[in-house]
Amino acid sequence: MNLRPVCLVFSNLVLLSALFLSGCATSPNNAQSEVVEAEDFNDPLEDANRAIFDFNQKVDRNVLVPVAKAYRTVLPEPVRDSLRDFLRNLRAPLIFVNNALQGDFELAGQTFARFTLNSTLGVGGLIDVAGRWGQLPYHEQDLGVTFGVWGIPEGPYLVVPVLGPSDPRDLVGQVGEGFGDPWNILVSGNPWTLYWIPYVRGGVSGIDQRSRYIETLSDIERTSLDYYATIRSLYRQRRAALIRGQRENLPPPASFSRNDNPTMAGRRPPQAAMVSEARIVSGISW
Amino acid sequence: MTRRSLLTAAFALILGALAPAILAAAADPAAVINNLGNRALEVLGKNATPAQRVARFHELFREDFDVPGIARFVLGRYWKTASPEQQDEFTKLFENYIALVYSSQLSAYSGETLKVTGSRADPEGAIVASEIIRPSGAPPVKVEWHLTDQHGTYKIRDVAVDGISMAVTQRSEFASVIQRNGGQVQGLIAMLREKTGNVSGR
Repeated sequence: MNLRPVCLVFSNLVLLSALFLSGCATSPNNAQSEVVEAEDFNDPLEDANRAIFDFNQKVDRNVLVPVAKAYRTVLPEPVRDSLRDFLRNLRAPLIFVNNALQGDFELAGQTFARFTLNSTLGVGGLIDVAGRWGQLPYHEQDLGVTFGVWGIPEGPYLVVPVLGPSDPRDLVGQVGEGFGDPWNILVSGNPWTLYWIPYVRGGVSGIDQRSRYIETLSDIERTSLDYYATIRSLYRQRRAALIRGQRENLPPPASFSRNDNPTMAGRRPPQAAMVSEARIVSGISW
Repeated sequence: MTRRSLLTAAFALILGALAPAILAAAADPAAVINNLGNRALEVLGKNATPAQRVARFHELFREDFDVPGIARFVLGRYWKTASPEQQDEFTKLFENYIALVYSSQLSAYSGETLKVTGSRADPEGAIVASEIIRPSGAPPVKVEWHLTDQHGTYKIRDVAVDGISMAVTQRSEFASVIQRNGGQVQGLIAMLREKTGNVSGR
């Protein structure tokens, strides 16, 4: 369940407010029990976060959900799925880079194959040929997960205006992807008349994602005692699970040191080399 | 303990492969989940009113889940600060609440089936991996069932959907509610009372 309305482009705008928020991070109450609790929640900015969450809820109820419902009513399902597949195909270059940065060459190869097949046979990505007939299902991947795989901590939980649940690691990842996205770079080099394209892409992608979780989220909201706390827990667990899943996918770190026997060094030696390179480049020790 | 459950699980698996019919009993964790899946399907397949569904899930929950264990876990460190009366009331309310949550989340049911894909031993009992197969052809949802071995009978202590644990989510939510009520378990109990009273009546 991806609870985050992904819209790369807007994240650039949002960075400032996030920096502001982390700037005024204050430590919570000093009472012993409160400290334990605060660590569990990882939410030192809870008051500000709750205020933004309330604001987001209003935007969600009054704008996003009505628009998402209209989108779902007006466009038939095959059209919406096709649009989603097209948007996903646009993300393929970023996903490919993330697979490579994580040292997962197997997945990177799959992403490359998907992109090639879907962009050609799949008419520019409108049909997910690779997923439907090629046994190469779509997988989500982002820079925030890559940072997590590298061992960078999540930092305090954040609620970002309009975009929703996040943390500094994921937010920096989103901004980075916004700048690194080849399509964004492509249109920014063009006449200013093309500037609207990334915004429309971000908006449509957000609406499409929201339209797929209307009932799920409203059920969770209706049955939960503290919707804010539930979403916080769901978001953090989901991100942790994605990172854990990717780490388990990679060859064990122990294989890096066994250079004396290269054939036994790991199941997938090239990836292992890539990961150690990434470790050196990023200066992170595991 | 670990060794014993490992052996039990391995034995059950072998038996399960040889003669599934013998294993209707709750000795095999995978069979417990299979059985639960089938009975849940039965509940969902019938044209029942929402209230009847809640009641049926309530039954399933009481039979197959380690309700007292889960209740204690989700209350976390507040379990000890609660009086025995509060603990009792909380456990009962929690049971009602869970039946409500599950049946509400399964209300959008449209032909999905549960397929057990594997099971392994775990220090506390066993973990059964399963997938919810969706008729729309969408990628299956991975569901892990964490079971505790209670004198040879397996009871569910947690359900993890795509890596998200129900028990951990509820513990976090309940702790937040208690904290916002001045650290009083009574505040949570009052909210649970209201929630189960209100929503199940619909």
